[in-house]
Amino acid sequence: MSEPAPPGRKRPRVTVAPAPPTSVPSERPRPKVVVAPSPPFLLDFFPLQGAGQTRLSRFYDRLKEGRVSTTCCPRDGEVHWPPRVACPICHGEELEWIDLPEHGRIYAFSAVLGGAPLGMEADVPFAVGLVDLAGSPLRLFGRIVGRPWTALKIGDEVRLESYPLADGRSFYRFRAVG
Amino acid sequence: MSRRVAIVGGATTPFGVRPTTWSELAQEVGAALFRAVPALRAEDVDSLFVGSAEPERFAFQSHVAPLAAEQMGLRPHRILQRTELACASGQSAIRSAYAAIAAGLSDVAVAVGVEKMNLPSMAEANSSMGCVMDRAWDGPHGATAPPFFAMVAQRHMLEHGTTTEALARVSEKNHRFANTNPTAQFYAKTFSSEKLLGLPVVAPPLRLGDCSSMTDGAAAVVVAGEEFVRRFTDRPAWIRGTGQYSDFHNLAHAGSLTQWPGLTRAAGEALGRANLTIQDIDFAEIHDCFTISEIVEYEALGLCPPGEGGSYALEGRSDLGGDIVINPRGGLLGCGHPLGATGIAQAVEVFQQFAGVVPAARQVPDPRFALVHNLSGSANVHSVMVYEGGGGR
Repeated sequence: MSEPAPPGRKRPRVTVAPAPPTSVPSERPRPKVVVAPSPPFLLDFFPLQGAGQTRLSRFYDRLKEGRVSTTCCPRDGEVHWPPRVACPICHGEELEWIDLPEHGRIYAFSAVLGGAPLGMEADVPFAVGLVDLAGSPLRLFGRIVGRPWTALKIGDEVRLESYPLADGRSFYRFRAVG
Repeated sequence: MSRRVAIVGGATTPFGVRPTTWSELAQEVGAALFRAVPALRAEDVDSLFVGSAEPERFAFQSHVAPLAAEQMGLRPHRILQRTELACASGQSAIRSAYAAIAAGLSDVAVAVGVEKMNLPSMAEANSSMGCVMDRAWDGPHGATAPPFFAMVAQRHMLEHGTTTEALARVSEKNHRFANTNPTAQFYAKTFSSEKLLGLPVVAPPLRLGDCSSMTDGAAAVVVAGEEFVRRFTDRPAWIRGTGQYSDFHNLAHAGSLTQWPGLTRAAGEALGRANLTIQDIDFAEIHDCFTISEIVEYEALGLCPPGEGGSYALEGRSDLGGDIVINPRGGLLGCGHPLGATGIAQAVEVFQQFAGVVPAARQVPDPRFALVHNLSGSANVHSVMVYEGGGGR
């Protein structure tokens, strides 16, 4: 069974059709047209990742460097998942970034054999699971690649990795090892 | 002591893959409600609570409370609002009506649930179901309900030896009850355990028959303060208690998967307010969105010890003639699960069971107390209501 393709997709780069030549070239800048990707923003589960769109853009910047990270609170030591802008325990907003452990073991898993969301139909069948990260209190949910779901077992070791989407964004997933 | 509140009538449209729009379902249920409650006059209804989980996604329609009012021929003049709590949106509408009437802000309210889920694009509908989860973190991995509840089943099987036969027994029971319910999506389809065990796997270990469906449907109830109850019926369903608990949202915080302490707390709150225990309950409508859900719910409600939900089902203890009748309406498995309508349809069943008007094949003998439960999302929120039938408090 082949590994699921990265579920990213291309955002079409649409430009305004060139205006017909006129004797007086316009000095005004050409209007910037923003179009929705396919699927449109509100049907695309992959979040907008830029600094202009989320205060957690550092998470996605680090993903591009191959690091999966999260926030922790220096006041109460709470390690968050997902990363946050305010601690849910003390409500402090001065948070620190830490890298997550790379290794973990499968706590539970299943597979999507049908009924995939829009844009993920071509990934079917794919495995998802909850993974206990080594030396961490966190149990993360994610896609599991690298081995067909029929060959996975509870307790299998997996590695947390980042991967690029086709449009330049990044996300994270688990890869079965060994 | 606050004012007593009761459900005094209700109606359900046929559930299924319906050739109707959201608005047409609201019209249908309005017509059905006025037929089912002959004493109801539109001008009596001072407030309307509309349970609908995702009309923006499934029907591209927002501001649905006034739309529902217009479709149903109502002009509420006290409280008009939509309630949204995903799969528990309908029960939320009833709870809001109850709170408003108990507080004296409403006298006669309608709680209606409407959901249109079947779209030309199944993938788009699946995305709509996926956005119930934490969409930015769980959604991109392909998280929807089936793989989540499949993991619950996988852990339950590992930890407690629960079998696929136990799952099939739950589905067989609820589909059998649905064969007595003409509004059920699977009214005319029979499912033996053998047939269920041969259906395709959707998310291992769950098969098609372990999963409730994408369903179009609507249901409505009339909720009234005590001085208004007798105008409508002499067999009301008194609301005796309510409780909710919100445990988590992101799947990272789902805990063991096999224990749902939020349900234990919500049920404890609702039963405590009614001065009852689960042993007092004659029948319950609980949230069998998946077969494994009903099994974990037996345990979290205290009907059996943790881990024994599978044998509880196999021994028929949740069936007619057992300890307690669970999901005599046919459940979400047999009736389908139009998100906002489910909680209301469960309350309609409670009212009709107390009134003794359901077919004999699913009538619970002389029921006095009933419990209704909805979970929502990834079993992260639990909502429970307790009812008493007859003329009692």
